[in-house]
Amino acid sequence: MNLLTLQFLSEIILLSVIFLLIMKKNFSAVSFYSLQSLVVVIILLNSFFETKELLMLLVIFIMFIVKVIIAPLFFIRLIKKYALSFSASTYLSTPITLIIITILVFIAHSQRLLPLTSIVANHQILLSLALSSMFLSLFLIVNRKGALSQIIGILSFENSIVVFAVFANLEQSASLQLGIIFDIFIWIMIASIFISMLYKHFGTLNVSSMKKLKD
Amino acid sequence: MEIFFIITTLFITAIINLLSKRKVIIEVVSVISSLVSLILSVVVALKVASTGIYIPGSGRFFSIDALGGIIVLVLGLVGFATTIYSVEYLRQEVHKNVIGFTRMKQYFILLNIFFLAMFLAATSSNPIFAWISIEATTLSTAFLISFYDKPSAIEGAWKYLIINSIGLLLGFFGTLLFFTSIDLSSAGLVDWHSLAINATHLDPLLAKIAFVFVLIGYGTKVGLVPMHTWKPDAYSKAPAPIGALLSSALLPIAFVIILRYKAITDMVVGPLFSQRLLITFGILSIAVAALIMFNAKNYKRLLAYSSIENAGVMALGFGFGGLGFFAATLHLIYHSCVKVVLFLSSGNLLLKYNSAKIFNVKGTLKVIPITSVLFITGFLIVTGVPPFGMFMTKLYILSAGMKDYPFVSLIALFFLSLVFVSFLKHVTAMFFGEKPEGIKKGDNNIWLLIPQISMVVIIIILSFYLPPFLKTLINEVVLQY
Repeated sequence: MNLLTLQFLSEIILLSVIFLLIMKKNFSAVSFYSLQSLVVVIILLNSFFETKELLMLLVIFIMFIVKVIIAPLFFIRLIKKYALSFSASTYLSTPITLIIITILVFIAHSQRLLPLTSIVANHQILLSLALSSMFLSLFLIVNRKGALSQIIGILSFENSIVVFAVFANLEQSASLQLGIIFDIFIWIMIASIFISMLYKHFGTLNVSSMKKLKD
Repeated sequence: MEIFFIITTLFITAIINLLSKRKVIIEVVSVISSLVSLILSVVVALKVASTGIYIPGSGRFFSIDALGGIIVLVLGLVGFATTIYSVEYLRQEVHKNVIGFTRMKQYFILLNIFFLAMFLAATSSNPIFAWISIEATTLSTAFLISFYDKPSAIEGAWKYLIINSIGLLLGFFGTLLFFTSIDLSSAGLVDWHSLAINATHLDPLLAKIAFVFVLIGYGTKVGLVPMHTWKPDAYSKAPAPIGALLSSALLPIAFVIILRYKAITDMVVGPLFSQRLLITFGILSIAVAALIMFNAKNYKRLLAYSSIENAGVMALGFGFGGLGFFAATLHLIYHSCVKVVLFLSSGNLLLKYNSAKIFNVKGTLKVIPITSVLFITGFLIVTGVPPFGMFMTKLYILSAGMKDYPFVSLIALFFLSLVFVSFLKHVTAMFFGEKPEGIKKGDNNIWLLIPQISMVVIIIILSFYLPPFLKTLINEVVLQY
């Protein structure tokens, strides 16, 4: 893939995080996460064609199964089971959220972060985009009140780091990546169980309404 | 081979616990497994002391330096003590119908996976694998924190899961940045040693950014302020032995990872950068913990803040360097032992009074005298009262700082004094006065006391006599880091 295509894919990832930040419906959020993960898989696949490491292909396949299929299915099941059509609101209003998005993207592209974005000189724009996605994912986790949105935020953050690692030539060996994806898979399962437990005890997934720890 | 054996034993124990339908089998297997881990941990520590660095097998997966040797030893020790305690503690909870067999079984499965993950994190030769193992500790303990299935426990566990996951991802990003010094296309599995010898190829600015991410990431696990917010909630909601393990085992392991990256960063940019960061986080942790401890209303949260304060003391010591580094390493050992005493004794208080609120716990010296004496001894040790070892370590750390950072040392001294006053205030309120009506006199079962008594004995011995192998290990740590 040429740089322009990779840039386009990175922009899709960035856009998916922006959508995750402003959308109200949980189902759409899950769909955008799934799309984001699919793009990450495509970027990794491109990397595989350069290295031709067969075990890497297995990692990519497992990643596809876990992130693009299983995780969204888990989340959709939860949405249906608890009728969680609409995500809990955000701490900041939409206009302020949009302003912060702009600022964070600007920071990620600033000269100050050049040491990070110039790790591979000709990937500077790609690394800036990946860094923007990381910043926005972190913002997503802290700005959203919904537990499901927080989970998706963390997974989106992880996706952004993976993309950054690929563009910075910091991809780890396939065996280690298998370990990481196994960890992520278990994390998704545990987080999903916690979503059920939170709903059972609090009747909502709005984390701002959880106030049982004030002793 | 010992490390392979420990890991296999713990893994098999978790499987047996999963398959077993008999309570006694789960208990016996878990105790034997922790005993085997303890014995082998001692062997590992002795080998590291004699060889400097112990590389079992091909060295592809494990390598244990002096700091790793100390951590393995601590892990074996606190692991055995908490497992022994857990058996009787859970029996009492089952007896009181607080939990059933399934919960008890779940507890021992997760406990052994937690041990397994901690041993892997402490001994792994690969930084990414160490990260995976630390992440596994989060996953295995989340359900242990929500163990009682109460809304507050679920909330505490959720907070723990989310904050630690974010922290660890930040740590992961920092870890990746350290790999920019190596050509990964031909390097294969990169170990700590390779990172260190290639450190000179690292861009200094990038090394600084990477260390900041690592410090924030793993510092979340350590519980350094301001990444500490999960800690009081998780510690207070988890069963007492799990609180003990989080404080006495997981905290030092996360610290070890930070120190390994500190050593690499120092090679690139000199020691001043990481020292200043550690000192800043350290003093902040001591100050915030001291101020909150004064008004604590829950004795388990009090212990959690004490862990934050002691993490701060260690960060100061590692930051000051030299004598401070030596003292901080020793402080880490004492702290792990004393937190077992305090948390397990807090478990006894909870069993007796059914409340973790300081206000509801009165006259304990008359009700459970041995537990009370153990708790008071723990309080004296952890606040640094002479002649216990923590007095000397705190003194050494502060005196190490007096040369280059006198103002920081004086502030730390002030807040450490405040910690003592706060602790004393709460201990006086809980241990003296009249007992509430309806609370029967009589100490807990002997098995709920033996682990703490053993730990107090170990601390007293170590306060006056350091075995040669341990002294060698600590000296080696100071040299290596």
